[in-house]
Amino acid sequence: MLGRIGRWIDERGKFSDLWRSQMVEYKVPKNLTFPYAFGIMAIVALVIQIVSGIFLTMYYKPDIHLAFDSANYTIMKEVPFMWLIRHIHAAGANFFLAVVYLHILTGIYYNAYKKPRELTWIVGWAIYFVLLMTALSGYLLPWGQLSYWGMVVTTEIPTSIPGVIGETISVWMKGGYELGQITLGRFFGLHIWLLPLILLGLVSLHLYLVRANGISNPDGVEIDKKKEGVPFHPYITLKEGAYVMWYLAIFFFFVFFHMSHFLPADNYEPADPFKTPPHIAPEWYLLAFYTIFRSIPDKFLGFVVFNLALVLLLILPFLDFSPLRSAKNRPLFFIAFVILVISSIALTILGTMAPTPTNAMLGMIFTVGFIGFFLALPVISIVEWGWYKAKGGRNQ
Amino acid sequence: MIKAVFFTVLTLVFFFIIWFYNPFVHRETYQVPREHMAIINDYSKYAKEGRELFQQNCQACHSVRYDSMYLSSAEANPNMSALKEKYGKVLPRNVYEASFHSDLMALKESFGKVPPDLSTAYLSKGPQYLYAFILEPQKVLPGTSMPAVMEGRPEETAKIVAYLRSVSEPSPQEKNKRTLMGFITIGYLIFMGILLFLWRKKKLKEMGL
Amino acid sequence: MEASRRDMLGLAIGGLSAIGIIGALYPFVKTLAPSASSLAGAVVEVDVSSIPEGQVRVVSWKGKPVFVVRLPQGFQWQGKAKQEANFKLLQGQDTYAMVAVCTHLGCVPLWKPQGEGEFNYPIFHCPCHGGFYTPWGDNVAGPPPRPLQLPPQKRDGNKLIIGEAGFVKELT
Repeated sequence: MLGRIGRWIDERGKFSDLWRSQMVEYKVPKNLTFPYAFGIMAIVALVIQIVSGIFLTMYYKPDIHLAFDSANYTIMKEVPFMWLIRHIHAAGANFFLAVVYLHILTGIYYNAYKKPRELTWIVGWAIYFVLLMTALSGYLLPWGQLSYWGMVVTTEIPTSIPGVIGETISVWMKGGYELGQITLGRFFGLHIWLLPLILLGLVSLHLYLVRANGISNPDGVEIDKKKEGVPFHPYITLKEGAYVMWYLAIFFFFVFFHMSHFLPADNYEPADPFKTPPHIAPEWYLLAFYTIFRSIPDKFLGFVVFNLALVLLLILPFLDFSPLRSAKNRPLFFIAFVILVISSIALTILGTMAPTPTNAMLGMIFTVGFIGFFLALPVISIVEWGWYKAKGGRNQ
Repeated sequence: MIKAVFFTVLTLVFFFIIWFYNPFVHRETYQVPREHMAIINDYSKYAKEGRELFQQNCQACHSVRYDSMYLSSAEANPNMSALKEKYGKVLPRNVYEASFHSDLMALKESFGKVPPDLSTAYLSKGPQYLYAFILEPQKVLPGTSMPAVMEGRPEETAKIVAYLRSVSEPSPQEKNKRTLMGFITIGYLIFMGILLFLWRKKKLKEMGL
Repeated sequence: MEASRRDMLGLAIGGLSAIGIIGALYPFVKTLAPSASSLAGAVVEVDVSSIPEGQVRVVSWKGKPVFVVRLPQGFQWQGKAKQEANFKLLQGQDTYAMVAVCTHLGCVPLWKPQGEGEFNYPIFHCPCHGGFYTPWGDNVAGPPPRPLQLPPQKRDGNKLIIGEAGFVKELT
């Protein structure tokens, strides 16, 4: 009976043909390494965020008088199992950004942004940017002390632009001269409707581009798909499926046993516009940019440099025009990559520390390391073109 | 291989620092004597006693809205029962603050600010800070307008903290349930991952890959 | 041997996936269950002397509207009901509470002390589909299948306590 229903549907929907052509006959390189699974983990994280977020909107009230209680009483104590869904949503946001960062670093390491994948990279950058906006707007919603003051600092950042422009941007972000009901309402709308919809569109485009251009290769050589490729299903699906299970196991460890970093203590105090909490820093995923901004003594220059860091990330495919692909084959690039990773980590951790002069100095040094990676790429590319020519134009 | 180990270790260290313990950030810590910490940890047992102590010593200035405990003057107000009937046990914050505005403003007159509601105090401050602060407010936060109501009564202070904990945290039975749920979920996911891997191996062998 | 082991593995994965899907849905379905506050048994006290004789007061009990009816002394009712379940339970009480939700489709009936239409004596009339109830909530005419529900209630001097077992033990 079930089989007959299945056949009836399949004759009309042609789903088995779709499965065969897209999953089984789709060939991918055999040597994909573990970091290639960060992409699917990010998709899983997105699905988790959307489902848990929809359930949270059922009980959350975007009202400055009621938001805190709706999050901490109605959701955490009153409605059965909503505590779990809030934990999942809060931890999920952090895990989403964590795997997206790892995914970006994987892309840089294996040079997955090179021709013909520049557009994939650019769309990916847009996803990252929208994701940061989503995280930022969502962080305001519980209307606790950290939510409030984090957003105060964020909306003050544009005022580094001298003259009337910065001030205007800041006021437009807030919808007034201070954070209030208007601000909360608009960030709520952005967080639950506009930004996730943009995100879904961009992710679909990103996936389409990945399919259209084929998956890159850790060795940096494009494969002859007919001969060397392995079927996507079951070769990759089951491998990455297992990785996803283990990723979720770690995720649920945090959800059930270690939420103190995702629902921080200071945010259990309702927002008070007259009292700034003693430890105020952005969430970890923004800290690198925050430290760049903070370490540079001139406010406007700091603003320019941290925006420059974002722009450099966007135009990365055009900075690196070397004929070689993948850090495996590029010793100079590998060194630069390690400097990039160390600088990003150092900048993030410096952001958690007090802004002493020593830390500002260190911040400057690692800012140079971070920006330096991108600025060194053209130089490295020229050197590698020299090697490439000397070896007679062969890839390795 | 060395590269893989290097990057893995780097990643793990990074996430350990930001998600578990950050050795570069110094936070003030306070000591609670062991016997009093035991009271706070056994919060379901002392919650009732702590609640009574709270009513005697704290309720004049502090509310615990999530436990339907409001300022004594508000509780004595004849409007209170009608408000509770209309809005439920936990009055919405704006309703509460508007209805008892004069009581709250009277407190503001005498203390310089409205004493905070303590529904989430345990979560935001933690047991050590609460214990130390309630016992000796001036020592922990010099210049605070909080009077040293509980001075010289450490055991009763611990019971009040236990009460605040019982308001903020789920009951021990509920906690055990959650822990069990966590173990089952994590165990399931790890096991499922192993099964998928084994299945893949089988399948690939069949396909001759 | 080979085939059976593969089948075992496949079956295990299939079965466990099904359990996993159910497990993932469980918390989401559970969030739809009644919340802690709506399960708490509320008790409402009504001061009988504040209701004029022959009048009805509407109070809220567990989020539902509840009629508190106070009958005049020596009240006689001329009509004829289809059932007498409520009347039997409420006999001898001059003041009592009934859940003000029509047993047909959930509207709130209206109290017509002067009567309505063909009924020229005190009656409850449900405006949605024309149901009629006696002052004790027994259905008289129209679509309602059974009398109005009675909440557990107790009389204590001048107070009617809704939500505690007394002359009505539990929700009918």
